[in-house]
Amino acid sequence: MDDFSGPDLISDLPQSIIETILIQLPIRDAVRTSILSRKWRYKWSTITQLVFDEKCYPNCHDREAVQKNVVEFITRLLFLHQGPIHKFQIVNTSLQNCSAINQWILFLSRNDIKDLDLELAEGGEFFRMPSCFFGCEKLTRLELSRCELDPPVSFKGFSCLKSLNLHQVLISPEAIESLISSCPLLESLSLSYFDCLALTVCAPNLKYLCLEGEFKEICLVDTPLLVELSVAMYMTDDVAEHMEQSSTCNFVKFLGGNDLGRLAIMYNNLETIEMYQVSFEDMKEILVVLRLITSSPNLKELHISGSSNISAATYAAGFEFWEKECPSDSILSQLKVVKLTEMSGVPHEIEFIKFLLGCSPALETMSIIPSMYDLECQLKMLVELMKFRRASTKAEIYFIRGD
Amino acid sequence: MSEIDMSVIKPEMMKPYIWLQTSDGSIQQVEQEIAMFCPFICQEIIQKGTGSSKNCAICLPEKVSPAMLSLVLDYCRFHQVPGRSNKERKSHDEKFIRMDTKRLCDLTSAADSLQLRPLVDLTSRTLARIIEGKSPEEIREIFHLPDDLTEEEKLEPLKNTTDDPRIRLLNRLYAKKRKELKERGRLKNVELEEEHVDERSVDDLLSFINGNDGDSKGSKTSKNKKKNRRKKEQKKNSTLTEASEVKKELSGHSAVSDKIAGTSNMYTEDDTFSHKEFDDDEDVDDEIDPALQAKIDRHICSESRLLQRIVGLPQFTAATTATAEGGSQADGVAPNPTTAILFRYSALLTTYDDDN
Repeated sequence: MDDFSGPDLISDLPQSIIETILIQLPIRDAVRTSILSRKWRYKWSTITQLVFDEKCYPNCHDREAVQKNVVEFITRLLFLHQGPIHKFQIVNTSLQNCSAINQWILFLSRNDIKDLDLELAEGGEFFRMPSCFFGCEKLTRLELSRCELDPPVSFKGFSCLKSLNLHQVLISPEAIESLISSCPLLESLSLSYFDCLALTVCAPNLKYLCLEGEFKEICLVDTPLLVELSVAMYMTDDVAEHMEQSSTCNFVKFLGGNDLGRLAIMYNNLETIEMYQVSFEDMKEILVVLRLITSSPNLKELHISGSSNISAATYAAGFEFWEKECPSDSILSQLKVVKLTEMSGVPHEIEFIKFLLGCSPALETMSIIPSMYDLECQLKMLVELMKFRRASTKAEIYFIRGD
Repeated sequence: MSEIDMSVIKPEMMKPYIWLQTSDGSIQQVEQEIAMFCPFICQEIIQKGTGSSKNCAICLPEKVSPAMLSLVLDYCRFHQVPGRSNKERKSHDEKFIRMDTKRLCDLTSAADSLQLRPLVDLTSRTLARIIEGKSPEEIREIFHLPDDLTEEEKLEPLKNTTDDPRIRLLNRLYAKKRKELKERGRLKNVELEEEHVDERSVDDLLSFINGNDGDSKGSKTSKNKKKNRRKKEQKKNSTLTEASEVKKELSGHSAVSDKIAGTSNMYTEDDTFSHKEFDDDEDVDDEIDPALQAKIDRHICSESRLLQRIVGLPQFTAATTATAEGGSQADGVAPNPTTAILFRYSALLTTYDDDN
């Protein structure tokens, strides 16, 4: 086998380029380069990004053998690795909780880990992050799925953390609040499948916020730089029974304080708002949504989904509230896209649409997706919508039925 | 980048063309706007003021040949236009990057030395796509890599980090061959060094430690007998599996000698731990001094044929099993070496049969 048909093309490229190439290979291929030639033996061992995804999974149907194989692979790889590891991701795999993960976290905590993404699969208990994890001082991005976080008392927060994404993570409400507030650089926060009851978010640098889960109340305190906001609060029926309000969600304290007067701060950077499960029968909720919208002069995109728990009430009161809260001079000058789903045609929803159409001169598209199948109701809603004055000449309204 | 830098540049430098000198010494004129897309050239102009005339042309790094420079400039020419959409840029890149591997590697090198990060990313992504999914032989062929790992290095298992069944099989074969080589090597050496796993349980170790504290030699011996027997059984079993695997690879005759070699090695090697502590008290089953042991080793090869014949006789199996397992050498009489081997080998066979 004559390999000397020309000079070596690639081995003498600078290590930084070799690393760039190796990082873009699936991890098994990257490690395989170690038998290419003498020079390549340890080139892979200093790469700073380790990503274990579905490509590193062997094709085998025996779940236990696969799990064992992957755990062994990762452990041995870490053993052979040299130098810092900045990125470590286990995603899209069926890796289940096992004791080896503790050792991996310990190893990473000693090797300057910056970006940790650990997404475990169904089956088995949630993985409890060991205490060494809280000593990862250089952590800038953290994403966990199916884990348990129990910070020690002495934990002072991750001073470099910019992005936090917790999905199906067990953590006490106090712990999560203190974690959020003790990470001064936090810019992106995403909590989903959460079942803590009350949450106060205090993060001065926060830009992207996504909350999804069973919350009783959410309170945004001191988040002036918010650019994107997405909130979906679901409530189980039994909790709802104990609530004073009849609504299924509680947005009242959302923007801080019990005071339902005008908001103190303007969210000048807020460009996208997504709110799910807003009940248009509860005045307080509508008020919160309205105030949020009117305090965001640069709002570009709005998604609202109505509450599916309504009892199709046709009686509604409080229409004077609309004139009071929405002065005719309020303008949403940047609003371009509006999407309203799960609209059941209750009177306040109609008023809301009227308000939006009337004060958005830059509106380009509005999509309305009704939740009811009855043609009569849909027709009634359409007829109402037709009446409204549109501030934008370019606005196109899509009434999407079916499906 | 460009706008801010442009504003700092003095007006007299805003000529439309600059001069670049490539690795071969030739100088060419290039539109300034396009060349400034490369951070290296940008830096040279701003910090050192070169490039404004043919005499003080910017010296490009040695990796940048004229051919590479023209490729880089083509890339810059397209991308420095601000109005293009992402889709356009992407499709241009896909076409641009179609070239043979050598040019691709040279281009990566050139782009890196000019600090043109987007082009480096593009070329390394392409190189990664070339490497992905290919076997080592294919990769070596594409990039002209020498196959220069020594046999020994290849024999070191790849730490199981690959899933390729061919590589695993290769490693298995190499491992067995290596063991065979090592065992043959051992036959020639009197000194035996081999690391092996100390499989004794904590209890064993504790009782060993306790047993070391001033007990009489006799009781020590008997305790050690048990421990060593257990140790031997474990070693026996592990060597047996090795031996049986080797057997599958190699044909009959040598396999037998391997087994025997394995046996003798098993009894003569001591891990350093027991060696230190047991200076006076050797392994029970080996109340044979080292010199005699060496003699045994040398006998092994010549005895192998004899043993093969003996193996067939059933009466040896029964009798010698009892003897071997009873550990009866406590009476201090060293048996005839050949017989000793016979006993052990037959006992081995019995155990092997049992395991089978």
